[in-house]
Amino acid sequence: MDEHPVAGAAEDLSRRTFLMKVGIALNAAVALAIATPVVAYLLGPVIKRKEYLQWIALGSADDFAAGETKLVSFQNPFSNSWDGATAQVPAYVRRTGTGSGASDFTVFAINCAHLGCPVRWFKESQLFMCPCHGGVYYADGNRASGPPERGLFTYEVKLDNGKLLIDAGQIPTLSNRASADGPCSGGEWPQEPAEKALANIVKTIEPYKPNPYESPRG
Amino acid sequence: MKTRSMLSIMFSARFAFCAVLLLTATLPFAGCRLPGKPGEGPEVPRPEQVTNFDTLYGSNCAGCHGANGQNGSAMNLANPTYQSLVDDATLRDVIANGEPGTLMPAFGTKQGGMLTEQQIDAIVAGLRARWNKGNVLAGQNAPAYKAAHAGDAAKGEQAYQTACAQCHEAAPQKPAQGGSIRDGSFLALVNEQTIRTTVIAGRPDLGMPDWRGLVKGRALSEDEITDVTAWLMAQKPATPGQPYPGAGQQGPARIPTPNPVKQ
Amino acid sequence: MAWYKNIYDWLEHRLQLEGPIKHEIMHPVPRKTASWWYVFGSASFVLLMLQIVTGILLGLVYAPSAAHAWDSLQVLNHDLPLGWFLRAMHGWGSNFMVAVVLIHMAQVFLFGAHKYPRELTWVLGVFMLLMTLGMAFTGQVLRFDQDSYWGLGIGASIMGRVPFIGGPLVHLMLGGPMINGATLTRFFALHVFVIPGTLLAFTAMHVWMVLKLGINEWPTPGRIVRRETYIAEYTELAHKDGLPFVPGAVWKDLVFSAAILFAVAVCAAVFGPYGPTGTPDPTIIATVPKPDFFFLWLYTVLSFLPPELETPFLLIVPPIAVAILVALPFVAGVGEKSWWRRPVAVFSVMFIAICFGVFTHLGTYTPWSPIMNAWSGAPIPVELLHNRTPLERQGANVLQQKQCRNCHQLGGLGGQRGPALDTVATRLTEDQLIRQVLQGGGNMPAYGAALSPAETTALVAYLKTLRPHYQPPAVDASRGVVAMNTK
Repeated sequence: MDEHPVAGAAEDLSRRTFLMKVGIALNAAVALAIATPVVAYLLGPVIKRKEYLQWIALGSADDFAAGETKLVSFQNPFSNSWDGATAQVPAYVRRTGTGSGASDFTVFAINCAHLGCPVRWFKESQLFMCPCHGGVYYADGNRASGPPERGLFTYEVKLDNGKLLIDAGQIPTLSNRASADGPCSGGEWPQEPAEKALANIVKTIEPYKPNPYESPRG
Repeated sequence: MKTRSMLSIMFSARFAFCAVLLLTATLPFAGCRLPGKPGEGPEVPRPEQVTNFDTLYGSNCAGCHGANGQNGSAMNLANPTYQSLVDDATLRDVIANGEPGTLMPAFGTKQGGMLTEQQIDAIVAGLRARWNKGNVLAGQNAPAYKAAHAGDAAKGEQAYQTACAQCHEAAPQKPAQGGSIRDGSFLALVNEQTIRTTVIAGRPDLGMPDWRGLVKGRALSEDEITDVTAWLMAQKPATPGQPYPGAGQQGPARIPTPNPVKQ
Repeated sequence: MAWYKNIYDWLEHRLQLEGPIKHEIMHPVPRKTASWWYVFGSASFVLLMLQIVTGILLGLVYAPSAAHAWDSLQVLNHDLPLGWFLRAMHGWGSNFMVAVVLIHMAQVFLFGAHKYPRELTWVLGVFMLLMTLGMAFTGQVLRFDQDSYWGLGIGASIMGRVPFIGGPLVHLMLGGPMINGATLTRFFALHVFVIPGTLLAFTAMHVWMVLKLGINEWPTPGRIVRRETYIAEYTELAHKDGLPFVPGAVWKDLVFSAAILFAVAVCAAVFGPYGPTGTPDPTIIATVPKPDFFFLWLYTVLSFLPPELETPFLLIVPPIAVAILVALPFVAGVGEKSWWRRPVAVFSVMFIAICFGVFTHLGTYTPWSPIMNAWSGAPIPVELLHNRTPLERQGANVLQQKQCRNCHQLGGLGGQRGPALDTVATRLTEDQLIRQVLQGGGNMPAYGAALSPAETTALVAYLKTLRPHYQPPAVDASRGVVAMNTK
């Protein structure tokens, strides 16, 4: 490397050093100004949560026979034209009674509560089985065996003029319920009444029912 | 030292040259028939696009009907008599909607199964192509697949004793080599059609003759078959499979929905 | 003067690269390090180059759109001349790269090369390994097939287990509330720009440090690394008993790299490209998602963890593992380099290698997964139906129809989640069979709600026949005691 002779006197140097520092500070300020929108852009999918969940019609309530569980699919309300087949979301509708109240319907997410693989319904044995790690659920969605730590995720259901509607739009995980009532971002998200939120939580905790036929360490 | 490294350069150069030569030599073949070249069509087709009989039969039917349509726990499909007895529409219906009252499940998509109508057609066509040996019942005065009228259970016992008892059981608790068919649980898991089809077509894979060989010297008549079927079905107890028959008077008692098994 | 010499001189006059490059490549290395054990680093680099070249070539055709990605892979596989071969090279190249990087890491660790003064080289290497694995995972996502779709679901489920910020993390990972086009484009950006860019920068630093600090000398028992004296000792060794890196050591690197590239090409030509498996339509639920080879061990671990341990394991173990790897050269930065004097190190590597091998092997045949069509597709062996009564044959029908075979084998066919039933009657009495079937337990669901009394009777009647003729049926020992007492 060649030695570059430094021109100018010492005070000159300090002036230039100062100017260089000004230059760096200017760049830092501009970088910060640019970074703010960049961060907001990157966090877009998180900030926008409000729009994700919508009431989606799954068809007429009469399409579902009492006592049966049926595979359906619906269009993800938050999708783009280039999503192709991935805009569709499958789900299981179970009609327990012949009544036409929302309580006669349970809509299960397709995703295993363990790691999200698609569970398959077997009507002969009245079980949902997961192909990945062998999670098994009973017809009512309760965990039967395998690694899941809870039952199947369910969507909130309502009936409107004989139409079955579910509150859906995000992939259910242990943090994001199928119908989100999980942690939410400040005031943007309509807050639930505290007692309703509590009731939801209590609902999801299955009471421990010891199985009299099973040894303590099953 | 110097010479050794020179030598090694030359060695590596020659090796690299050979490797490159080999590579370039293999490339032209790549276009035609290298083993890794993917075959036609997608590697994994959509499940509803599978119409190959062997694949469909192997994943949907072989479990109960046997790998080759025989020696399974359920109906002997590779039985030419059965193939002649049953028509395409019935086969299609049974595959799509199941056989009510028996363990044959519904496979059609409308019934929550996995098979489309095209796939069911492919299975029916495949069953025919593989195991139908022409109409072996032509001129045999064979009974029809479905009974024309309801049977007379009272007359059926006589037919049972002449045609079935020698191999199955003459009286309850005295089964012969063929095993009891008057068992309540057995009768609860079959329907009239199962019995009728088995009587007419037999189970050649298990050594059971068809309707012509059940009684020495003559074939069973249409009426005898209908009556014996009705009589057998009438033997089904009100609460089949219950160890304490008096316990559940309101139909078959069911164990309530179990609790989730916690570990 | 030849014309090419003229061109060279013209360029060199402006670029002035000859001096620094000559200086670097002719630097002396200890004679013993010109060994076949030292070729894995350069091979990793060559494989990275291969991945970049084949990746760019695939990028000419690949459409990073959820609606079209799978179709564009079909075009590559079937319509473009040798498109399948490029896909296969890229896929096998990634497998080889992960393998060679892991071997390189194990070799570096066993040879003590992470010790002073090469700590930062090791730390960078740890992050390069993570990026290589990141490339492998994002690459699997870009193959946008059913495995990719549900693999993303698994990723989202793992993210969802993070306390407090799990929900936002899932949305951040997927680019929205669901797996769809936005997910694919962000994994495309990661796989094509972010990770490779960072990986190249890290590689440059990694190689720079190797050049500046010298190649690790062959570990000799008793040759202790001390911070005060190491540099002087190494310089002395390299100069007294050394070779110039070029050509003294580099020829082995070149030969091995060529061999690796050739092996990739052979694998690509013989085994062909990976998938893609079925089209990524989530409504096709007749699918058995499985990760690529290098994540099979994780797939296995996730199936064996008890439910209550799973979240802690997933969230705590990976950071700890990375922390251990990063801390390693700072904790064990001096001392012996030879494996003869480092039994803990050797056994750690062996332990990890054996675990990896066993878990991966299990992952190849997933004994914990139900086989979804075994109930309707796996026949019962003829000898297990021979001489059975009509009731027992109906019991066999019940066994099939109630999907028992999805988890239980007969004659080696069926799921392996539960025990094989070929000899179940030698283990369980009739009462025990009834109880097990109706109440479940031991990780088996209770079938009480799904079985009528007749079905239970038939099923148990059949199960009671499942024993070899030379073995007695299971007996309830307490009955014998009762019988004796009543006599």
